[in-house]
This record gives sequence, structure tokens and C-alpha cells, in this order.
Amino acid sequence: MIDFFWTSGHLGWGVFTLAAFTMLWILVLDVLWRVTRIRFVRLLAAMCVAWVSAGVVIVLVAGINAS
Amino acid sequence: MGVLIVQIVVLLLLAIGCALCAWYFPYPSPVVRRWLPPRQRWPELQVRGWLAGAPFQKSFLRYFYRDPERDPPDGLDLLAPADGIIRGADIQGDIRYLVIALSFWDMHVQRSPLEGVVVSVESLGDSFMDGEGQEFAFLRGKPCPVQKRVVIRTSAGILAIRLITSLAARRLETWINAGEYVARGQRIGKILLGSTVVLELPPSMSLTVQIGDRVWAGETVVALHKAPA
Repeated sequence: MIDFFWTSGHLGWGVFTLAAFTMLWILVLDVLWRVTRIRFVRLLAAMCVAWVSAGVVIVLVAGINAS
Repeated sequence: MGVLIVQIVVLLLLAIGCALCAWYFPYPSPVVRRWLPPRQRWPELQVRGWLAGAPFQKSFLRYFYRDPERDPPDGLDLLAPADGIIRGADIQGDIRYLVIALSFWDMHVQRSPLEGVVVSVESLGDSFMDGEGQEFAFLRGKPCPVQKRVVIRTSAGILAIRLITSLAARRLETWINAGEYVARGQRIGKILLGSTVVLELPPSMSLTVQIGDRVWAGETVVALHKAPA
């Protein structure tokens, strides 16, 4: 698990990918909220589901690589 | 070490992007503004609130929304639909477009140029004018910016009046519906903080005004009546 947070003198790719992905997701959410007519709560729910799914994948991939 | 620096830079840039989003919210941050279509670059609700809110003095708004009585001259000649300055009288296809530009200080209630029956009241346009210059977008077959087009069947043929406003103001009112009779000089609508009224005429009609003339809605004759052939 240490590889997830820190590895070989730099941030672990797991935590880096998760952090970068999360911030990108916020930027995408901002843009989508402005260009679509979907209700904000629905958009937020959909983005959260997608973010959790992608986060699980990232954690799993990082875990597989670490093992 | 190099990888760590790259990671920190990437995360820092993304963090700045997110911070700008939060800082500018609900306005679009500079990061995303350029990628948005024109209409989404400004928060419509905030603009509307600003227009309806306190920044304007009530005395000014009373003056701006004034709706004085007008006394149409006798006869059948076509009256100006709006107060303002004639800015164009071009013929395109089989329509003459008489463009009346309203200033901030003009009365903003529009009137019917002739008596007749309203054929349709269309709402058009939902974006910024797509080009610069003097030519209107609708002359190039594009409906922008925000406008309403009132078509009236009259004894001089089919006439249309376009009420055009900017996207920021975006508030047009029409007080007539399809099928209704309108009298010559009758109020047909109002542009709130708007800009332009265009009268569409058959090209055979003789204008009595020229570019640069000041006209008054419901009082100034802009064209001589001529029954369609």
C-alpha cells in the first residue's frame, strides 16, 4: 500500500492519479453544469457515481501493480 | 526527484484551476470561459437579477419604461414602429429592411405601422450576433441575437416587425397574438433595455425617410401606402 502513496522518491502513481483525476472531474463538472440543461443535483449524482467508479478502478489497478 | 516535481506542478495547476472555479463561482472561471459557447459565458440569472435589481434608480426606470400616448396622423401611410434613428433601408431579396436603432434614451414601446391582422409572433435567436460589422445576422439567414418577429397582414401586404435586443438584456414583450386585429399605431410590444427594431416592407413601397432621420413610434410616416399588385 505504501506504493500507492509514495514510491521511489515521488508520489505514488495511485494517489497522484486519484488526486489529478478528482480535480479534473471538478473542472469537467463545472463545464458540464454550464453547457447542459440538466438539473444540478442529477448532474452531481451522476458525476459522483462516475467518480467513485473510476476511483475504485484506479485503486484496484494501483493495488494490482503494487502487488 | 524530477518525477516528483512534475507531479507537484501538475497537481498545482489543477488545484489552481479548481480554486479559480470556486473563486469565480457562479461566474465561469477564466480557465473554462473561453471554451464555453457565448451564451454560457455570462450567468443569465445574475444578469437578470442585476437588471431587475437596485443598480438602476427608480426614477430612471420610470423614465425608461415610459409609455406616452401617441397621435397617429390621418391616412393609410405606414408609421414608424419605434422611436429612434433610421440606420438602414437595404433591400435583400424581396424585402426592404428599415432598421431603426433605439438609443438608451428613446421610448421603448413599439407600435403597429398599419392596421391589420396578426399572422404570427415568432421568438427567434438565442445567441450573440455571430459577426461584426453593420450587417445584421438575420440578413444572412441567422436568427441571432434575441428577437421577436411580428408578422401582420395589412392592406399594403404582409409586413413584419422585428424587435431585437441584446443577449444581456434579453427581455422582449409582445402584447398581441396571432389572429388578433391591430389598429394603426396600436401598441404591440416593448423592448426592455433593448436596441433595434426592424420593419420589413415590400420593396416597392416608397420611403419617406432616409438614413439618419429621427422617427417617433406611431407618429412619423416612414413609407407611403401602396396596395399590393
